[in-house]
Amino acid sequence: MVRLVDQPLLVARHLNLETSRWSSMSRKAKANPKIPPSPHDMDSAALAALAEAELALSRHKEAIDIYKELLKRERRPLWVDGLAACYAGRAQSLAAKGMIKEALVLWRNRQHICGKPLVEGPFLTWLLQAGEQDEAVRLLADTSLPEAARAELETRFAAILLAWPQDKPLPDLPADSALLRHLPAALAALVAYSQGDMAALGEHLQAIPFRSPYRDLKPQLKALALLTTDPTAAAATEVIARLPTDGPFERLTVALRCAALPAGLWLRALHDLDEDSRQLVLDIKGCPDPLRPLLLGLAKLGAPPNPGQFFDLLASHRRALPEGKAENFCRQLLPHAANRLKSHADTFGALPEVERFHLAALAAEARGEHGLAVPHWKRMAELLGVDANRKRHAALIWRRLSGMDIAALGDAGALDPDAIVYLERSVDLDPDQRDTQLRLIGELRHAGALTQARARLDHALPRFPKDAELLFEAVQVALTGKAFKKAVGLAKQVLELDPINPSVRRLIGHAHFSHARKQIKAKNHASARKELEAAAEWLRGSEDGATLNLLRALASDDRVSSGIAIRNAAADLGGGLLGGFHLALEAGRMALNVADLLERGKVNLAATPAPAKVVDLIRMIEAVRDTDTTLHDKTVRFALHPFRPSLKRAASGQYAEAELRLICEAWLRLEEYELLRLYADAALKHWPGQPLFVYFKAMSQYADQPYNMPEHIRYNLERAAEAAHAQADRRTLQRIQDLVYPIEPDRGFPEDENDFFDMPGHDDPSEMFEMLLHVGGEEMLFSIARQAMGKKSFDLLRKNMGGNDQEFARSLVELMTQQARLGVAPAPRKSQVKPRSPFDD
Amino acid sequence: MTDPYRLLGVPATANDETIRLAYLVALRTSPPERDRQRFEQIRAAYEAISSAQARRFHALFDVTAPTPEDVLESISATFQPRRPSELRLRRVLGDKSGSKG
Repeated sequence: MVRLVDQPLLVARHLNLETSRWSSMSRKAKANPKIPPSPHDMDSAALAALAEAELALSRHKEAIDIYKELLKRERRPLWVDGLAACYAGRAQSLAAKGMIKEALVLWRNRQHICGKPLVEGPFLTWLLQAGEQDEAVRLLADTSLPEAARAELETRFAAILLAWPQDKPLPDLPADSALLRHLPAALAALVAYSQGDMAALGEHLQAIPFRSPYRDLKPQLKALALLTTDPTAAAATEVIARLPTDGPFERLTVALRCAALPAGLWLRALHDLDEDSRQLVLDIKGCPDPLRPLLLGLAKLGAPPNPGQFFDLLASHRRALPEGKAENFCRQLLPHAANRLKSHADTFGALPEVERFHLAALAAEARGEHGLAVPHWKRMAELLGVDANRKRHAALIWRRLSGMDIAALGDAGALDPDAIVYLERSVDLDPDQRDTQLRLIGELRHAGALTQARARLDHALPRFPKDAELLFEAVQVALTGKAFKKAVGLAKQVLELDPINPSVRRLIGHAHFSHARKQIKAKNHASARKELEAAAEWLRGSEDGATLNLLRALASDDRVSSGIAIRNAAADLGGGLLGGFHLALEAGRMALNVADLLERGKVNLAATPAPAKVVDLIRMIEAVRDTDTTLHDKTVRFALHPFRPSLKRAASGQYAEAELRLICEAWLRLEEYELLRLYADAALKHWPGQPLFVYFKAMSQYADQPYNMPEHIRYNLERAAEAAHAQADRRTLQRIQDLVYPIEPDRGFPEDENDFFDMPGHDDPSEMFEMLLHVGGEEMLFSIARQAMGKKSFDLLRKNMGGNDQEFARSLVELMTQQARLGVAPAPRKSQVKPRSPFDD
Repeated sequence: MTDPYRLLGVPATANDETIRLAYLVALRTSPPERDRQRFEQIRAAYEAISSAQARRFHALFDVTAPTPEDVLESISATFQPRRPSELRLRRVLGDKSGSKG
């Protein structure tokens, strides 16, 4: 059976009592069943249960009143103990709030009403904390005081006597009190320590007995002596760790613990000490007096400190710091406290122009606004670039602007669409940076600027003649430019430097393949065979082996035996659709008769490929496009041509959603719009309204003529955009916007945003952008901003806002307003305008 | 990261060799098996300023705000530990009521 007193909360609920107000309840309230009965009307058992419930809930004040009511009825020992517990609990909660005198009153009530001993528990501590030393002295003289209580009182009183003013007579203690007898030795020990007389210190500490009230002073002075010799001494730390935590000299213990903390931590702990203890720690640390206000200010700052407050503290104490230190620290804080720039100039002098741009850029980056930092970096780089001693700094800025070195940008890659321009500027200013050279040449190759890439290589290779990566890049440039023999020669140089380089081995082999194809195309079969034998020396993989056999067959003059080899090669390359596509691709590369080649390979064009084979084909096409940089999409489309009927039939197969995404993406890239429409339709049958497939379907019909898109398709796309937004599918949302918004006719604004800025009555660009946001919504603003600053910059800025479109829209309004006021509105794609530093007044 | 120059105890004008020597000394005093966190800090500091290019990069792009501990470290070289006076000790030894008296 569950006792009521074991369930105090249950009791309180059962009795339906609002106990905190029970004493104010009137008898009239009895008429109302919702108002609980007065305790005067309750029987004792219920009241006792209620009192216990209140005590268990630490509602001491209410419990005291109930117990008093109970004791009026009968003085049961259980209820007396309950009341005593309530007094103790209430007193302790008051003491915890610093109300020591009030706590003492309750403790004395506990003695008077409940007959409990006065000198027990926290009483002595509170007594001394309340400054009631006369009462403490009276208790010491009380012969009836239990021995344990006396010893505790003496121990606690020891701290008071040590701090007793020298001009004030000592309290009237019993002559034989250990407090008086050992006091001279304790005081002499303090003097000896302060004067550095360690021998005398040892003697005086020896004179303090083991049971003395001053006994805790011994390890404390020992720890102090160790600390002031070497604040980092492990021995001191060990001694301090053993100091009692609740002794009479606790304040000194806390200060010593603070002083023994590692650098940095003690500074933070300093703030939690009282003023005397702080100064004692600073004594131990040896902090000169002029620096103490600064250190106490630093301790007060908190972690992490507010940059502005930190700046102000350093600026106001700059003279206490060594020459230039305060200025350096304040300069480092400025990116985080940009509003202190004027204060910095007033205190330390105006910063040079280049520094102001530097700080503006850093301040933007510290806020995470990398896009806004760009114009400041550009201006800074321009200024540094004309200084012979700082060209390398400028080169580094251009390099970073290109997107190199910024891991935070992730797959965004380049910070700016003008990455190549930035890299060229960087290399021109500092050609010794091999990584920048390499990146630039790679970017030029990818952009198809082979003449420029070769020119850059001509400058870079003599500077880094033994650089395998640069030579590898040279191989790729040569291959992209179809300079096959040159590519092979360069690749061999790479292998001399790095003999186990599988990428280069494949490149050499594939370069021979390419050259062999050229020879086959020119009907020079003998030369082609020589190239293929050279390729065989380098290639190891089974797929390369199958390609080698196919090319050997195509270079053969024996049509009969080569037919068998072609069939075998097609089978080795995956057979069916895959093998057939390989044959068709080689036919496309070498201008061969594709129908003849497919027939010789016995490829069955009538068969409908399984969905898995279609997926394999897509993956294979992607792999071939990645490895063969010379392969054009039109060649791939040519190779796909014989298989279109079977691929169309295969669209009705069972695919996973991810597979259809992959397939549709590939058809879109290859501009295979009919296949794209069929596969998108198939996907929409399974997943109606899925935004990406709605987009694919629209692209299959209107990619080349978006202006002809009928209203219902546009409506479908807008619904899809909403769904993509709801699914947080930003990429699809963006793609739909790019397709729809260029033809958006009815927003009420001119298509050319410059016309909008020229509208009469809109002199304030801020007002104009606000109106644009209000009328056209975020998407309209985004559309204009995207066109104005370029998609990459726009996407990067948006990404940096962490998905908060509302905040992003606000930032865009600010940015575009600023640019408009500078006369460059909207932000140009390749701004040649000097940006205005936000620090310019 | 704390200022790498301060962490390695080298001036802002230090060259590659000086920084490398300071790094090796710091590694001896804080090997990874003894204090992993400190070791990582030292290594990161060294990487941040180990070459002229790295130092330029640090000077241009580092936005690490100084900490109160950095300020303390920059001035603590002048500190000379000293014994607190007898009066100070007595004030701290006594409890709050005692110190008021």
